[in-house]
Amino acid sequence: MSDAVTLILATQPTHTLVADCIAADRFAGLGATAIAALPVVHGGRPATLGEFFRVQGERASVVRIEGDCTRIDGIGTGMAEGELTIDGSVGRDLGLAMSGGRIDVRGNAGANAGGAPAGAARGMTGGEIVVRGSVGDEAGARMRRGLLVVTEDAGRGMGKGMIAGTVVLFGNAGPGTGRFLKRGSIVALGEVERPATFRYACTYRPPHVALLLRYLGSRCRLDVAAAQVTGRYERYSGDLAELGKGELLRWVGA
Amino acid sequence: MKINGVAIEDTFAEAFTMRVARLLITGQTLGWAREAAVKLTGFATSVIGCKCEAGIERELPDGETPDGRPGVSVLFLTMDKASLPEQLIVRVGQTVLTCPTTACFDGLPDAPDRLPVGKALRVFGDGFQASKVIGGKRYWRIPVMEGEFLIEETFGMLKGVGGGNFLILARDADAALAAAEAAVAAMTGAPGVILPFPGGVVRSGSKVGSKRYSNMIATTNDAFDPTLKAVTQSQLPEGVNSVLEIVLDGTDGPSIEAAMRAGIRAACRPGVLTITAGNYGGKLGPHHFYLRKILG
Repeated sequence: MSDAVTLILATQPTHTLVADCIAADRFAGLGATAIAALPVVHGGRPATLGEFFRVQGERASVVRIEGDCTRIDGIGTGMAEGELTIDGSVGRDLGLAMSGGRIDVRGNAGANAGGAPAGAARGMTGGEIVVRGSVGDEAGARMRRGLLVVTEDAGRGMGKGMIAGTVVLFGNAGPGTGRFLKRGSIVALGEVERPATFRYACTYRPPHVALLLRYLGSRCRLDVAAAQVTGRYERYSGDLAELGKGELLRWVGA
Repeated sequence: MKINGVAIEDTFAEAFTMRVARLLITGQTLGWAREAAVKLTGFATSVIGCKCEAGIERELPDGETPDGRPGVSVLFLTMDKASLPEQLIVRVGQTVLTCPTTACFDGLPDAPDRLPVGKALRVFGDGFQASKVIGGKRYWRIPVMEGEFLIEETFGMLKGVGGGNFLILARDADAALAAAEAAVAAMTGAPGVILPFPGGVVRSGSKVGSKRYSNMIATTNDAFDPTLKAVTQSQLPEGVNSVLEIVLDGTDGPSIEAAMRAGIRAACRPGVLTITAGNYGGKLGPHHFYLRKILG
């Protein structure tokens, strides 16, 4: 048993690599050899994790990935606990349907981060994903619980069909953000296009946002401006074409 | 034993095990947090008549509160497990929920016993309330006319100590009051301790039961009443004409001991003849605070 498991990307995949076996809690009971033998799919063909990554450490739920994983999809799929840090960018389906633990990406993430598997009703149901970069389309789509934080911009349809949970976006949001939102909160600190089916409620200082942003500053070491913590937010209720119990909170300054 | 010429009696304060919760109340200003806390802890001097004992533990600077706003820490005690959530739900609902700008957080996050205070109060939101999980804790956002009231879902409960005390026996009322004020000033802000009575001081110490009225659970402590010295079995030494008591509740025995040490030393000043303490012979309460041992 070691303090952490480190996966070092030794061979860059030439096609899309689906590595949905990488989850911090899954590694807690596995030795280095067993981790290397975990199945992945490379360009549609079966392979093993060890063909691409060098494995250091074993039997730990703190996992670190080093290397540019832009072509690697499904990292953190179904993760229930533990800590997974990626020093680089990742592909699509980060934290797909995860239910606990924390994923910290020191780079960008592809589409459907924190989202749901194809055909599934629910995306992530717990845990935290912090992307210190931008995300692709439909990040947080259909999420049921949990927290997704993006420090730069998001693609189209962020939070689409969210059932509950919280998305915090420090950069600009793409079109269609929050569409079909049932419950949950999207906190937009940058530019965001309000869907037509969201209705303005008021401008106020939401106390939970202050608490949340302070938490992100202290726990995740994110740069959060004091004016964002104590600032005023426009509250838009929506999606009124759905339950209408969700909200889009747009920061409007101190 | 004497401190500054004041005799310290060889006796002990007898205290009881109570259930305690700590609430952190924040506000836009310290003034608003304090307004809520003062109302919350009002009429909470003694379980004899108030069913709970409560007080402000200390003021909290911005950096010490969960939401980064100024606040106050409040300790809240009852005699049993069941009545603590009952009292908290009623009182927080009427005093903190109603107070502009405030939010309410748990101050005992590591306590395994959890009281569903926020969970009960959420229904004031009439279905419009919403919850948020931040850092593993669930909070309730209750919509109110001002905006939103934020409260933690559960509050921790620990076994605490209630009824720590000492009595200031003085030559006259002015000297007793000055000594009591000095003691309270020395104990104010002591971690884990509250002084639940008005200004931290009790003038009407009581004994258990009554000599005359069968329905009374507590009546005047005639053995320490100077005006009854000639007609009762008085415990007052010669020259004592006024007595004031300080009652302390807290999260644990060592906190109460530390506060008593500071308070008694501060009370030993001109005009005070003796410091003693109230007890029931050691038969009722499991916590015994021996004055000379504390001060030794």
